[in-house]
Amino acid sequence: MNALALKSVVAEASRGNALGAYFTETRFELMRMVRNPGVAIPVLAMPFALYALFALVIAGEAIDKDANLGVFLFFAFSLMAVTMPALFATGVTLALEREMGLLRLKRAQPAPPASWVVAKIVSGLVLAVLAYAPVLILALAAGKLALGAGQVAALSGALLVGTIPFCALGLMIGSLVKGTAASSYALLLYLPGCYLSGMFFPMPRSMDWQASIWPQFHVKEFAMHLAGITPHKEPLAIAIAIMLGYTVLFAGVTIWRLSRKG
Amino acid sequence: MNNPMSSENRLHALDAVRGFALLLGVAFHASLSFMPGWPPGIWSMVDNSPSQFLSDAGFVSHIFRMSLFFFIAGFFGRLLYHKLGARGFWSNRAKRIVVPMIVGWVILLPTIFFVWNLGMTKMFGGTPPAPPTPPPGWFPLTHLWFLYELLLLYVAVIALRALVVSFDGAQKLRSLVDTLVANSIRMRIAVFTLGIPVAGALMTLPFWFYWQGIPTPDSSLIPQVPATVGFGTAFIFGWLVNRSGTALDAITRGWFVHLVLGIVATGWLLHTMHATPMAQPGLTKTLFALVFGVAVWGWVLGLTGAALRFLSNYSAVRRYIADASYWIYLAHLPVVAALAVWVGHWQLHWSVKYPFILVVSFAVLFLSYHFLVRPTFIGKLLNGRKYPLRKPAQPSVGQEPAAPPTVPSSDSGAPVASLRGIVKRYGKTTALAGIDIEVRRGELLAVLGPNGAGKSTAIALWLGLIEADAGQVTLLGGAPQDLARRRGLGVMMQDVELPKELKVRELVTLATSYYDDPMSVEETLRRAGIEQLANRSYGKLSGGQKRQAQFAVAICGRPRVLFLDEPTVGLDVQAREALWASVRRLLADGCSVVLTTHYLEEAEALANRITVITKGRVIATGTVDDMRALVSRRQISCETRLSPEEIRGWPGVVDAQRVQDRLQITATDAEGVVRQLLAADSALLKLDVRQAGLNEAFNELTKEAA
Repeated sequence: MNALALKSVVAEASRGNALGAYFTETRFELMRMVRNPGVAIPVLAMPFALYALFALVIAGEAIDKDANLGVFLFFAFSLMAVTMPALFATGVTLALEREMGLLRLKRAQPAPPASWVVAKIVSGLVLAVLAYAPVLILALAAGKLALGAGQVAALSGALLVGTIPFCALGLMIGSLVKGTAASSYALLLYLPGCYLSGMFFPMPRSMDWQASIWPQFHVKEFAMHLAGITPHKEPLAIAIAIMLGYTVLFAGVTIWRLSRKG
Repeated sequence: MNNPMSSENRLHALDAVRGFALLLGVAFHASLSFMPGWPPGIWSMVDNSPSQFLSDAGFVSHIFRMSLFFFIAGFFGRLLYHKLGARGFWSNRAKRIVVPMIVGWVILLPTIFFVWNLGMTKMFGGTPPAPPTPPPGWFPLTHLWFLYELLLLYVAVIALRALVVSFDGAQKLRSLVDTLVANSIRMRIAVFTLGIPVAGALMTLPFWFYWQGIPTPDSSLIPQVPATVGFGTAFIFGWLVNRSGTALDAITRGWFVHLVLGIVATGWLLHTMHATPMAQPGLTKTLFALVFGVAVWGWVLGLTGAALRFLSNYSAVRRYIADASYWIYLAHLPVVAALAVWVGHWQLHWSVKYPFILVVSFAVLFLSYHFLVRPTFIGKLLNGRKYPLRKPAQPSVGQEPAAPPTVPSSDSGAPVASLRGIVKRYGKTTALAGIDIEVRRGELLAVLGPNGAGKSTAIALWLGLIEADAGQVTLLGGAPQDLARRRGLGVMMQDVELPKELKVRELVTLATSYYDDPMSVEETLRRAGIEQLANRSYGKLSGGQKRQAQFAVAICGRPRVLFLDEPTVGLDVQAREALWASVRRLLADGCSVVLTTHYLEEAEALANRITVITKGRVIATGTVDDMRALVSRRQISCETRLSPEEIRGWPGVVDAQRVQDRLQITATDAEGVVRQLLAADSALLKLDVRQAGLNEAFNELTKEAA
């Protein structure tokens, strides 16, 4: 290749159309999610079904007497609704794609390096919204959530922000494990946290020491602060710092792992 | 090591940066008459409309412009030294630097004195006070000090180089420094450490007016410490960046971070300087000096990186401006100073007068360049060549361009992709043990070898998926990790499944979004011969159809290099022929193809050249015919009662085997063996002798290597 032709290659190449690639990647990622409901449906249906069972059937009357219990239950299942898709839409699909060799191909193609990550995170967020909205609508319609509109808005925003560490956790699992094993590992890391963080039911005081290990705990504290719901178990700044810390840690492991293994 | 092709592209960018630094100097000097609070005499004029904004802008540009210049000068200095040798270098520098410096000084100095006198007369209404007695050792170098400093640095650095060469025979120190330079940029340490020497020098200055940054060494022939340290660091670092093959890549990638660091540091400096303009001994002074260092290198690395990122192509306009910048900088001072005197008492706001000075000076300077310099011996002296005035100047690519240093000639006909001396190990296994492969423009190179030979490793290196333990990988003239470069490749890998939920059309659309100038989706599908599959989900395709879809994904970006790893596995004859036809069309369009395959007939049908790899080494490279000739053995086949064991002992027989009821003999002397066969078995039937095909040649080669 002569120098002139080479120059035109490099010149053309430097223009780039990265934004378009991000957009297209995200669009197709969402499309895949819609067309392959195997991952999406359980993740969407479970929090809603569980919330309906607990809030309406089992504890329906108790909530009418104690509004705080309604808020507590709503927290438990809305947190589940937003964090599960974040974890599964990113981690499990990444693990499957690594097994398919797709990630290797993307790295070889001139795909912008972060486009698939962005696509997965956006899909995770969209799925989180889709899972959260029915829980919220049900809670409001059934009158089981005694919060003001501002509080509900703040709470919803906080929950969505809270998905970010879980997206990072998903990516980390997906980068460490290949194939279908990823969903088992994701559950193994995720489910104990739901119980031990005190998200589903209050933990005895003797177990408090370990609650703050789990990201769920901090997302819950973060959301409670923003929605102005008391009592708090840790200051807002600490909750934010730890969420951020987990995100950096998980993302760091992912980047380290993918840059070595692909 | 530097890759000549990639450097050449980058030299345009670096030339542009240097031109920018010089032209920025003109804008800087044009602003000096507007500095608030400057007493008469420092500059030719004190304007009646001072500007804090121009003061700040001047400070900002002054932080980095000379360091930037010396950084690029160091880079080109080494390039020139290695291109021309010591003698050629000094003779070139004598013409480009020494002569302009001396002649320029002789002409400029009286002109500058004249303009200053005009200004002083105007400011003091006719009778300027007597100028103060200059201190001992005073020498008015004027703005040409930068050429003097440059010469001193050439001498010092080339002496230092000789010293290093004398004791570092094994290049250990130098390769260590190369690694250090590249890694310090990559890890963003350089931006913080390179400024430390100059900060040290600035801290010790007894009188340091923050605004001046590194005090300009324009009034003495004795080198000044801060300038020598500051610009010397820049020059040496530029020299070392040229040494280290990968440092420019690191600078390119870091452009944004460096620029942001430079801007943030500059913001703090401005803020601090507004509070106390004159340095007081103490923490603030130390801090100011250190942050100043970060600002210098943030700007230098950031601007250089941004230019490499965005201006690495040839542009006639930029080339012209870069060529003109040297003359313009040499000649500008009396022009802008005289204009400042002229407009100094006009009752107009600085925002009118400053642009006026800029426009008029640039007009005068560019016109003088175009008519008096570019077509004449001055242009030849300054820039190495003159351009005839009549013909519109169209410097051809790779010609020696302008300004102090020079660009080496282009290296055309270089390979589009190459592996040189590549070693790659996985733990204790050596996948590639020092291989050299080259792919030329428009050719199809077939890479053959048994499983585990290292074919896929070679491809993975070219795709930037892994890094070599030793040796150099180039793709389209540089490192394959560079995204811009990878936009010139297409790839079809083995063992890859595309998302099964997406339709073929969508897969191609997605791949298309990665490229700048892709084919349309329809065109891609047509070329790959799969229009009828466009709306089928990938998951519902047969194995062969999936390979066809992957082929479409590989070619959609109009690649310059196409990597096909076992592309026709699972294809039926018709589909395979269609794929071959499509590959031939790409080759005709000038695309280069690297093909690994197990089907030797595929290599025979398509390849211009074949490389055979076994156990991580290239054991043969050549055309298909070369390969056949390399193994000039023939195959004899017949029905006979003789046993293979018996025949293997005959002279001229390489191997003999029974295949069903026939005996297959590989022989170097076919005629002799046939004679002996007929003599030994008169009942022999169905004798067949033929030249070994590629298949046999390949088997022989790999067997011998094993």
